[in-house]
Amino acid sequence: MTDTVGITALIPPELVYACRHRPLDVNNVVPTSSINPRSKLCAWTAVWRDEIMEGGLDIDSLVVVAGGDCHNALVDGQKVALSGVPTHYFFYPFDRDPDYMASQLDGLAGFLGGIKNKEMFRTISGLKEKGLALDQLRVDDRARASDVFSALISFGDLQGDPAAFEEVLDTIPHTDVEYSSRVALIGVPPIYPDFHEVAESFGLHVVYDELPYEFVRLGGNDLQALAGSYRNYSFSGPITGRIEMIRQELDRRRVDGVIHYTQFACHHTLEDEIFRAHLDYPILTVQGDLPRSSSEQLKLRLEAFSEMLEVMP
Amino acid sequence: MNTGLDVGSTTAKIVRLESGIITASKVVPSHRWKELLEYGNKRDTIETIVSTGYFRRTVPHTAAITEITAASLGVRYYIPDAQVIVDVGGQDTKVIDLRNNTFLINDKCSAGTGAFLELAAHYFDIPVESLGKLHTRARRCALINNTCGVFAISEMISQLVGGYTMEEVICGIHQAFARRIAQMIPPVETLVLIGGTVLNTGIVESFESIHSSTVVVPPSPQTVNALGAALYGKKLRPEI
Ligand code: SF4
Repeated sequence: MTDTVGITALIPPELVYACRHRPLDVNNVVPTSSINPRSKLCAWTAVWRDEIMEGGLDIDSLVVVAGGDCHNALVDGQKVALSGVPTHYFFYPFDRDPDYMASQLDGLAGFLGGIKNKEMFRTISGLKEKGLALDQLRVDDRARASDVFSALISFGDLQGDPAAFEEVLDTIPHTDVEYSSRVALIGVPPIYPDFHEVAESFGLHVVYDELPYEFVRLGGNDLQALAGSYRNYSFSGPITGRIEMIRQELDRRRVDGVIHYTQFACHHTLEDEIFRAHLDYPILTVQGDLPRSSSEQLKLRLEAFSEMLEVMP
Repeated sequence: MNTGLDVGSTTAKIVRLESGIITASKVVPSHRWKELLEYGNKRDTIETIVSTGYFRRTVPHTAAITEITAASLGVRYYIPDAQVIVDVGGQDTKVIDLRNNTFLINDKCSAGTGAFLELAAHYFDIPVESLGKLHTRARRCALINNTCGVFAISEMISQLVGGYTMEEVICGIHQAFARRIAQMIPPVETLVLIGGTVLNTGIVESFESIHSSTVVVPPSPQTVNALGAALYGKKLRPEI
């Protein structure tokens, strides 16, 4: 029987499928959720917590990425666990130790009942190739950033059905994109569901989504290969690695400016100063809190940033 | 003729340019913005209207630009090597760093905006325009610590009860205001202040006392954004 496993951040979805379960990235319901959490720091974790506890999300168990990602998730995950949902805690190695990573993947496979369908590793590798091609398509101005973003962000769980997801990928329109500036979006993904469309409406072509790119970049065809790849998940390690990676991508994708999305009450907000000191690009920092469509204040910032990149000498 | 129309949250301004020379400029309350379209208008000339400000899309325009771009262009007209601009608006305050094309907008808290001074003036039941004059009469400044507009009022009251004069409390309010905005300002040698609020000399003085930077206020700081909008029009249609 296939169980639905809620996941709170990136874990290898290929492993979940190989254990004959279906992952569901609980974050994917947050941007359109109408829940107003009663106790919260970051709305991302508080909303999925309440969605699960109020029965709005149908999951059989939960995997909380508790180390190398988010402390809020650790606490809110424990609240969910106390309400009776079988919960597993997953930790990335900060020092990128491959053995530790392998032991974490082993533990996860154990929680999921063991690997039963190794074929899934290969199937999902193939899909990730498609994801990478899609990512390149927008770099080449041949696909809308909003379409590519929504495809890439789904690589955390492949929408619960790899075969159906492949069809979704195949229908992403290829179209010539016109824009005034190329920008990168770094940080956690915006909690605003229309962020990419709004940026687009002001002539900003988002050619890099930091986190979704990690979703397609990492992979492997067996447990060992996964350990070797996922230990490099940039969000889980020292920021120096992230800066290096971002720099490379900004250069490769020929961006004019960087948007750093920060989330209210998220520790990643503190990284803004570091990026400003180490990335030599115009940077716009925007902060979101509750899931809503983009506010007028956000629109003003995006419009002004677009003008700055275009008009200013 | 290149017209710049800046319709913000509290006031509307117009600046008209002919061959790059300012021929008209005027300020009215926002809801009376229509009056501006008549002011200094020569009907026989071709006109490009560039609008800016919160209501830039609601008013007639050939093109609309944000206040950030308008401020950058307007300030550069007077001060070509300007580095950091502080634009104090009625509902928000913007800090624009022209050295690396970045900006910050404070629009979540009223304490560093014109609304904060309105609140203080309202408490004393005096027009907001008279705050600057009263400030000059203060012999010392009462300390107002609070960076929340609403709580600052209770602090004002306790300073008044404690023996400070209204003028001294106003001086303290201005300093609290400048301190609040200072948190947004990067280190720089010269700071350019714009917006109607900086017509208040008490505010300018408070910035000077808090910052090691030299503080510069361009002529007509209230209409700089309208001027910037008009200048943008000139970029679009250089021939008029
Ligand atoms: S935004 Fe930050 S605090 Fe919120 S879930 Fe993501 S990592 Fe955690």
